[in-house]
Amino acid sequence: MKVHTLIRELSPFRLKRSVLLGIKSLWMHKLRSLLTAMGIVFGVCSVIAMLAIGEGASYEAQQQIKDLGSQNIILESVKSTDSTTAGEQERSLILEYGLTYRDIAQIRATVPGVQVMIPSREVKDFLWNEAYNVDGVTLGTVPWFPEMRNRRVIRGRFFTDLEMAHSSPVCVLSRSLSRKLFPLTEAVGDTVRISTSYFRVIGVIEDDMSVANAEADTKNKGDSNVGMEMMVPLSTLEDHFGEVIFKYRSGSFEAEKVELSEVTVRIDDPTQVMSASQAIRHILERNHKKVDYKMTVPLELLRQAERTKQIFNIVLGSIAAISLLVGGIGIMNIMLATVTERTREIGIRRALGAKKKDIVIQFLIETVMLSGVGGLIGVAVGLAIPLIITHFAGMVTIIEFWSPAMAFTISVVTGVLFGIYPARRAAGMNPVEALRHE
Amino acid sequence: MAAQSDLEPVIELRGVEKHYQMGDTLVKALNGIDLKILPGDYISILGPSGCGKSTLLNILGCLDQPTIGQYFLSGQDVSHLSDDDLSQVRGKRLGFIFQSYNLIQQLTVLENIEVPLYYQGVPEEESREIAIDLARKVGLEKRLDHRPTELSGGQQQRVAIARALSNDPAVILADEATGNLDSKSGGDILRIFDELNAEGKTLILITHDEGMAKRTSRTIRLKDGEVAFDSYREEDKP
Repeated sequence: MKVHTLIRELSPFRLKRSVLLGIKSLWMHKLRSLLTAMGIVFGVCSVIAMLAIGEGASYEAQQQIKDLGSQNIILESVKSTDSTTAGEQERSLILEYGLTYRDIAQIRATVPGVQVMIPSREVKDFLWNEAYNVDGVTLGTVPWFPEMRNRRVIRGRFFTDLEMAHSSPVCVLSRSLSRKLFPLTEAVGDTVRISTSYFRVIGVIEDDMSVANAEADTKNKGDSNVGMEMMVPLSTLEDHFGEVIFKYRSGSFEAEKVELSEVTVRIDDPTQVMSASQAIRHILERNHKKVDYKMTVPLELLRQAERTKQIFNIVLGSIAAISLLVGGIGIMNIMLATVTERTREIGIRRALGAKKKDIVIQFLIETVMLSGVGGLIGVAVGLAIPLIITHFAGMVTIIEFWSPAMAFTISVVTGVLFGIYPARRAAGMNPVEALRHE
Repeated sequence: MAAQSDLEPVIELRGVEKHYQMGDTLVKALNGIDLKILPGDYISILGPSGCGKSTLLNILGCLDQPTIGQYFLSGQDVSHLSDDDLSQVRGKRLGFIFQSYNLIQQLTVLENIEVPLYYQGVPEEESREIAIDLARKVGLEKRLDHRPTELSGGQQQRVAIARALSNDPAVILADEATGNLDSKSGGDILRIFDELNAEGKTLILITHDEGMAKRTSRTIRLKDGEVAFDSYREEDKP
């Protein structure tokens, strides 16, 4: 009996007529219905838009970090900011700082799980192709650099172990450097000159996205030499430039002695990255009295980014919850007013054979339609906003497939939750009194 | 008379009382009503205000339940039914006509007539057919898609009559059905009532209009919650 009546209640025929009836009742007060739905519209569209923007921002950040390699620990030489350094080094005129071969020997000997290391050293000088020149960076490194740093060789190839062993004068250009130096001709096969040394171009590698993105924001894009990199075997670089690097630049003179500019340490077990980074930190602290190195742990950054994203999600979730709560209260408020206003209609329907359940369903359908239509409009607007932002502000926005579905579902659930009380109140009215209501 | 008393009564009240608690005092709105209404009866119930007319109507209409006593509708005791069952009884066996028409404003004439059928779960096509037939019967076949606000009082009351007939009820209850109408449209409504009774419908008219009482075949007068006069009772016969 119960099951039978339930099926009758939910049959498509009854549902269709109930929905049509709901539309008629809502249509009688178009403006009121529209305004009521607005609360949900804004709630839903702000949820979707904020999710898309947040997701886009964190995707960008995580992508930059992932490009560095999550199993890597990156050590860089930096000029110490320690004031005592300047005093000591004044007489020698040569600024000596940074990571040394001794550091990497110790790291390899003591830190467990070190898979490979990519020592590299960079020299800043002008790079020439006939009349074209670029103030760029020459990076001496090892053959497995592209693989470790997630960088793709676009044309040609990277240098080999053999070329490394023989200190061959070969080089690989970053994409933006090859565009600057060889705007019209093919770079691979041609040569690049640094002061009096010539290097044969054997390949072109894609730009370092993490650096390019991070620094392009702060620097003037057109004039920067960010990403202007030329890679040569580490041994070749030593042969050609020696240990001390002299630079003459617009009247001033600089001499620096840096053994290694950068070392990337890859740990074979991803779970050991954090503990290995602790061990490396200890070694470096012992070897370097001044802080003339910088340590970057992409995994740590990734974890931080994830934590930031979590906090962001919580904030977002609360905002979404509050806006939908406000929308829901708006709906409940209007439905309560509607129920009072339609007391007589309820009385008439009850007299003509409507059960309490029928009245509950009638009002619940109206609230669900309000919130559902509001939700649909909200989804449409919410999908449009990120597109507009991407188009005009150039920000990356990512709409996850589940976010409109989730926002819509929540809006309907809000409708049901906030509709139940007014609907039950309508159904609970005494038919005699409801009929007498003016 | 003998033939009539052989018929199974459509409504039978046995010692019905309705009490209300008003502050400290107990008010007996109905004080022991015994009543038998036979199929095809055409009854007017009269009485001064406060005599319990409305209370009796609410109980007869299954909108309210008696405090004491029994109410049999078509042989079924409906005095202690659940709310859902009462709704079912109202929707299936009773037709209501109100003083202020009580049409649903957002629905058309046709849809208003269909409301009781909707709650009975009558399929759409069948219910549409019934509603069109009834609209024709009350002379509104040209106004099927009009809203109540677009109709005159008399027309609205005719829609209400069609609605009351849609579920083919055992009894039609009319509460001051002509109270808001001018004499001409009121007369039209009364003629429809006469026709319905001639077709064999049982009608109960609640009124304070003596003229209306003269048209009906049976008159019941209430006073202080009791039946003071019933034209069917031997002692009240003229």
